[in-house]
Amino acid sequence: MPDYTDSELLELFRTAENKHYAFNLLVRKYREKIYYFVRRMVVSHDDADDVVQNIFIKVWNNLDSFREDSRFFTWLYRIAVNESLSFLKNRQLRSWLSLSSPEASMVRAMQDDNYFDGTEIQKRLREAIIRLPRKQKAVFNMRYYDELSYDRMSEILGTSVGALKASYHFAVKKIEQSVTGI
Amino acid sequence: MKPKNNISEQTSENDFLSPLPESAKTEANGYKVPDGYFDSLGSRITDRIILEENKAFKKSQIPVFRKPALWAPLLATSIVAVLLVFVIPAKKTATIPATDEWNEINMAYDASYAQEVLFTESNSMDFELENAVISLSESNTSKGINEITDDEITDYLKDQELDLDMLTYK
Repeated sequence: MPDYTDSELLELFRTAENKHYAFNLLVRKYREKIYYFVRRMVVSHDDADDVVQNIFIKVWNNLDSFREDSRFFTWLYRIAVNESLSFLKNRQLRSWLSLSSPEASMVRAMQDDNYFDGTEIQKRLREAIIRLPRKQKAVFNMRYYDELSYDRMSEILGTSVGALKASYHFAVKKIEQSVTGI
Repeated sequence: MKPKNNISEQTSENDFLSPLPESAKTEANGYKVPDGYFDSLGSRITDRIILEENKAFKKSQIPVFRKPALWAPLLATSIVAVLLVFVIPAKKTATIPATDEWNEINMAYDASYAQEVLFTESNSMDFELENAVISLSESNTSKGINEITDDEITDYLKDQELDLDMLTYK
């Protein structure tokens, strides 16, 4: 795959004959990063697959109107966060109807997950993350796993840096308690 | 390490995340994907995009009469208009029965009332008959000039060559 920058890929996308080619290159460039972010949010592979496809379809539909006021990755990440959060919100609504907590159904999905071969500490960490509130989960994953700066996170989530720091702090405290069993 | 009391001081840190080992922090985090998943992801997304675009195109090609959302409200409005203008006013006049029908209805429920109605009707018929007789007699008296006189009878008998004496009662 040729090593294009985001700007070059966007320029290529805007020419009608190269639109599909440029889009495929964008998908190849970001598919793993986006997939693992989504997977950490929704846990099951099948759900992650659905959400990732929806994310890239949204990118296809809206890329023409993307004006490069922000970096492409920030824009893409914002779509990924929003799609993941709305998926979790819908699942929470469904779980109210089925009278079981969304966390319990996610833990069940995690236990039945054939596509996981992590260590014991990774399992405990994953279970602790599942129990976090939706937005706190997103903040924790972005900061801890993807190592995004608070400024970038603030740009993506539209939340102040201070609020993000507080959110991350509380998430870490909860995970510490959960992992160490305090 | 000195603990930080202020969250805003923790800007560059995962340093307060000490219980979580760095080994747990990989991109995949223990998650696996089916074989060849990422290789086929691009083409599956492209397939879905093409499918959705075809659907959108087909939707735009459906003629108006196949879209009930467009013509159904119009049809419903027309039906209501027709009902309001023609059917409901006609029904209103038809629901008020004529007097005779009322009588029949009442008769059906009340026998004494029925007799009363019959009596009233017969009385009114008698009254009409009486009026007719009176008017006839009045008309006869008013036509006194047309009465036959004795002279006219005599002339008639003369013409018929009858014996007046035979007719005269003495």
